[in-house]
Amino acid sequence: MSADEATTTKEASAPPPAPAAESTPPANGTPAPAAKADAGDASPMSNPYAKEAAPSAEVFVAEGAKKRKKKPVEIAIRLTKVTKRFGAKTAVDGVSLKVKAGSVYGLIGPNGAGKTTTFSMMAGFLQPTEGVLEVLGYSPMQVDELRSRIGVLPQDALLPGTDKVGEFLVHMAQLQDVPPDACEEAARAVLSEVDGRDWWGVKCSSLSHGMAKRVQLAQALIGDPEVVLLDEPTAGLDPRVAYEVRQLIKSRKGRCTLIVSSHNLAELEEICDGAAILDRGRLVASGSMNELTASSEEIRIKLSPGPAPIPLVRDLPMVKRVEWDEERRELVVYFERGQGVDAEQVIGAVLWVLLQNQARISAVSKGRGLEQRVMELTD
Amino acid sequence: MSPFSEVRFVAQRELRKSFRSAKGIVLLVLSLLGGTAVTLLLAWVQQLKREKLPNVTPEMIESAREDAMTQAFGDPATGKMLSHTPEVLLAVFFITIWLTPLLISLLGFDNVSGDMQHKTVRYWTLRTRRASYMVGKWLGLWTTVSAITLTMHAVIWVVCIVRGEAPAASAISWGVRLWIITLPISAVWCGISTLVSSIFKTPIVALLATFAVFFVLWVVFLIGLRFNVNALTYVYPNTYDGFLINARIDRWMTGLAACVGMTALYVGASSYMFTKRDL
Repeated sequence: MSADEATTTKEASAPPPAPAAESTPPANGTPAPAAKADAGDASPMSNPYAKEAAPSAEVFVAEGAKKRKKKPVEIAIRLTKVTKRFGAKTAVDGVSLKVKAGSVYGLIGPNGAGKTTTFSMMAGFLQPTEGVLEVLGYSPMQVDELRSRIGVLPQDALLPGTDKVGEFLVHMAQLQDVPPDACEEAARAVLSEVDGRDWWGVKCSSLSHGMAKRVQLAQALIGDPEVVLLDEPTAGLDPRVAYEVRQLIKSRKGRCTLIVSSHNLAELEEICDGAAILDRGRLVASGSMNELTASSEEIRIKLSPGPAPIPLVRDLPMVKRVEWDEERRELVVYFERGQGVDAEQVIGAVLWVLLQNQARISAVSKGRGLEQRVMELTD
Repeated sequence: MSPFSEVRFVAQRELRKSFRSAKGIVLLVLSLLGGTAVTLLLAWVQQLKREKLPNVTPEMIESAREDAMTQAFGDPATGKMLSHTPEVLLAVFFITIWLTPLLISLLGFDNVSGDMQHKTVRYWTLRTRRASYMVGKWLGLWTTVSAITLTMHAVIWVVCIVRGEAPAASAISWGVRLWIITLPISAVWCGISTLVSSIFKTPIVALLATFAVFFVLWVVFLIGLRFNVNALTYVYPNTYDGFLINARIDRWMTGLAACVGMTALYVGASSYMFTKRDL
């Protein structure tokens, strides 16, 4: 199954509306921010001002959206046999993938796999040597068509040192065609969202790494873009800030298409609907997170020393195959999904059998885990 | 958003950046100090001339200047016009024209290369057409240079008036005219500087390359002069000061057209290359 088929289908031409319980979407389909605030998750970074600021940020989107030339698309990003060469070196080799609008999609791979190159081509920083790349139906170089519809957090792009945070964000908002009287509000709102409301007058050169990363994230989110590309959004951050950034990304889930490139596989497994695994410039696997981790086809159970009633597990009707590693005391149960059988049912049945036979269970997981899957697929 | 709006936003930010940076402030102060020092020096020379040559009347000096200017610009009308120009202002004008490339190279070497070095440029290329970014960068640099030279000229006008080198009306009217003449020439230099800066990702390399290019243009100009090859002299932007200061409208138009054309060529080339390159 291709990546686009695997990812969740959402309304494509605009960010999907927030759940009805949370908000009433405005006429143009933009999610109502007040509802998010009411739901209590508008400020994942525990910012008390975010709830007040968020509506202002959205107002101009509703107004500005009238001017935007939107082309309805189901596929937010489409790569067709994209190749990028730097001299004799091929960084990305014939990669094809599709990302459905509204999904959270991960780009995974070891160093030198071509993640950042692929990401940079999606953002229009690099131009493909061969192949076609489309973002919302346009070439990433068509700035006027994509302005304000795409936000990017580049991995290693420094903020302009002489600018103050506030004026930098206002300048970015101006260039995104935000109405002049709404630029400052939009900038303040997005800065509050990353818990940086106190940095308005601080020079970018004075920001710590974590603060700078959050300001970079703020500029990527300004104007509520339909597609947000995040390259290593938590790299180099301390665990608390990394957690907050993850929460912020999660809060955007469903409001836009998110592409996240990261080495942190646990993070990607947690936030992504689907992913593409790259190795040496080639696409080695893509699909939904369930498919990649085989979480819908196998479960893993670790047993502590004691009874291990493997034959009884094997005899369960939904179980296709069982592998038992005596040394690691790990039981892998394979099953066929469908006809009322899912991973949760199998877990329940297997645990019941094990507990009935005095087995001591120390851990249960679905699938192989993204990390293991990536290890299998990449050298 | 129209490309014009993009250019305006980029240029506005560039101006803000220039006058906030230590480099911009230092160059402004140096320009003011240098301009004032040169003016005072020239005024002192004038005073010395008056003291040492008491029998030489202002009319005789004006006549001698008219002859010299006619010979220099090959046009009697221009010679006559420039003979009325306050001498100090005329001298400062030529010094400004001569030093402007230095000011531009120091102000503009990291104009684009500085943004490319740490990939800061990526925040802009997402939101502006690359050509608009380049034109905005050029416009920002040109405006900065123009503002610095205007400030320097204004100080010189004041010094001239205070020291009685020229009547206020003459000092200001000639001062403004001479400053305006520097604008098309500095526009070309800014175009060249922006082009060179957009080629290199390391600012120090861009600085050296800018110096090298400016020097090569000057050498080409000297070769053109030495061997009477006019075509070679025309690649050097300062050549057009003689056109722009000329009393003949056709010469003036030629100089302006050449400066506009060269600026468009350099800014166009840098925009094209910037659009095609990876960032």
